[in-house]
Amino acid sequence: MKIRLLALVAAVVMFGSVRVLAGNVKIIANPSVRAESISAAEVKSVFLKERNSLRDGTHVEPVLATGGSAHAAFLKEYLAQSDDSLQDHYRTLVFTGKGLMPKVLHSDEEVVAYVAKTRGAIGYVSSTAALDGVKTLTVGQSENDAARKLISRVEPEYPVILLGNHIGGTVRVRVTIASNGEVEDARLLGGNPVLGEAAIAAVMKWVYTPGHAPTQTEVSIVFDPGH
Amino acid sequence: MLRRVLLLSICLCAARTSVHAQGFTFFDRQVQIHGFASQGFVHTNENNWLTMNTSNVGSGEFTDFGANASAQITDNFHVGAQIYDRNLGQLGRWHPSLDWGFADYRFAPWLGVRGGKVKTTLGLFNDTQDLDFLHPFALLPQSIYPTDLRDTTIAHLGGDIYGSLPLPRSLGDVAYTAYVGHRSDSIHSGIAYVASQYNFHYSSYGGLQYGGDLRWKTRLKGLQIGVSRMDQDLSATAKFINPLNPDGGFILDNEHSKTDWTNQFYGEYILGKLRIDSEYRRFVNDQAEEVAGSVILDTKSDVRGCYVAGSYRIVKRITLGSYYSRYSITRASTGPLAPLFPDQTDTSLPANHIYDKVITARVGLNKFWNIKVEGHFMNGYGDSTYPDGFYPQQNPQGFRPNTNALVLKSSLNF
Repeated sequence: MKIRLLALVAAVVMFGSVRVLAGNVKIIANPSVRAESISAAEVKSVFLKERNSLRDGTHVEPVLATGGSAHAAFLKEYLAQSDDSLQDHYRTLVFTGKGLMPKVLHSDEEVVAYVAKTRGAIGYVSSTAALDGVKTLTVGQSENDAARKLISRVEPEYPVILLGNHIGGTVRVRVTIASNGEVEDARLLGGNPVLGEAAIAAVMKWVYTPGHAPTQTEVSIVFDPGH
Repeated sequence: MLRRVLLLSICLCAARTSVHAQGFTFFDRQVQIHGFASQGFVHTNENNWLTMNTSNVGSGEFTDFGANASAQITDNFHVGAQIYDRNLGQLGRWHPSLDWGFADYRFAPWLGVRGGKVKTTLGLFNDTQDLDFLHPFALLPQSIYPTDLRDTTIAHLGGDIYGSLPLPRSLGDVAYTAYVGHRSDSIHSGIAYVASQYNFHYSSYGGLQYGGDLRWKTRLKGLQIGVSRMDQDLSATAKFINPLNPDGGFILDNEHSKTDWTNQFYGEYILGKLRIDSEYRRFVNDQAEEVAGSVILDTKSDVRGCYVAGSYRIVKRITLGSYYSRYSITRASTGPLAPLFPDQTDTSLPANHIYDKVITARVGLNKFWNIKVEGHFMNGYGDSTYPDGFYPQQNPQGFRPNTNALVLKSSLNF
């Protein structure tokens, strides 16, 4: 009984930590933002306007999406404060001259469209939003996690039948990286399922730098029958 | 004046449904426009307070407003300015001033610079003390943030360097500000009003102000602690009527500080809807008055203030709060005029302290408009060279030891 309870608690803790990272929101950025990943602390300080650049020096400007379902989840998961508190924080900046109000939009579609066309823009949308013209930043619990680098990559085997028929394309895979750097899960997000299967088989053999906790990232793999 | 108050009150009510930040584009740059206004009413049962005649039916001479414009010029560079005006009893008197106006360049998260007229960072709320809508209380603890003496700390004409950097081992973040500049008090400020009771009528008051602030956002979520220091070298010119020879007319008086420093320590903890703040400030001042090159009065003051405040948001739009604030002063004078200013050494006397127990309720009518109802239960009146709200000009019959006050206040912002 005790063991079952402990297992349940452990599962909740583990699942909880993964949920925070995977979350109900995605952090998106204009393609001019060089970084592929960002730490949760960076997200917080960018949206609190405590910093206007990422650790690689890229300038960023936060965009709020107050009308969408992502807003409440974003406040809870990343800023840990209410909307009223956040507005008070911005008013403090505005009325002491220490900063300007961030851009405020009202839906995922508006945020994606604005971020896509605005250099340095960084925003958040619900996990189901269409992401045309923007990049998704992976979020780690710490800067170390956010900066986890791929240190061993295995190329996927091109399925012979598809290669013979000159069928290619790009597949997107969500990768869950364990603390020790090994890939513990890979799931197809988009693309040809047969190519995806090959991609997942390869990705499962990849190795990243170790981190403090499991993190997730998205990778895109191109299958070009011409090469 | 009554018409102005009435007009502002009508505007406060009328604007409630349509207050949004405004802006326009100027040379391809978006300029943001924001503003705020507040109107208060104070009634006391005994002593008149805050330079108002509050003890009869009360006073509504408690109005302020401000408006600012800011623009992001480049990724790291922004400029802005804010106009501020207030009428608090005998203070302010509807003379608008530049509240702040500066250029700000941020090189990196750990290094930025500001130049111009800059709000002074001192403790938790010095730079936001006018922004009623940010605080649960209608009046911040007066032991630390005396609203009648706001000019003494509010801003400096000069520059800041600032930044924040993470500490190793996830110990949190440290934010710092260092500043140097020139403080300039309005002749309608509290300090000038204080001096007028002693027959000193200032034509200028100000001087060098420099200091710094260091605050640590600890790894315990919601907890920050910090320390501020401010040093000043002030001078003033005034016309003085010698009480020993009142028929002799005005004498030109020069005043300068020999010592003037402030230390402030503070902590804040926010947990969900609960907020707890506490601060301690010590202000030491040694000011010499000179006539024709001779010191006629040298006054040393030692002011100590502290408070503990708590507030809790019981429902989305209603916050209840309370604080206990303690202020005390000791003073010693030397010079030919010293016999006219008896030393104050016993802080247990009502003349040398104010202990203020406060309860408040804030109701947010919407995101932009709130009203507050607040009760103050004060022991002491702190009548000295650095007063805390009680002035003999409004209390010619003398002071009573206890004063209760009802404060009503409403403010909006956009």
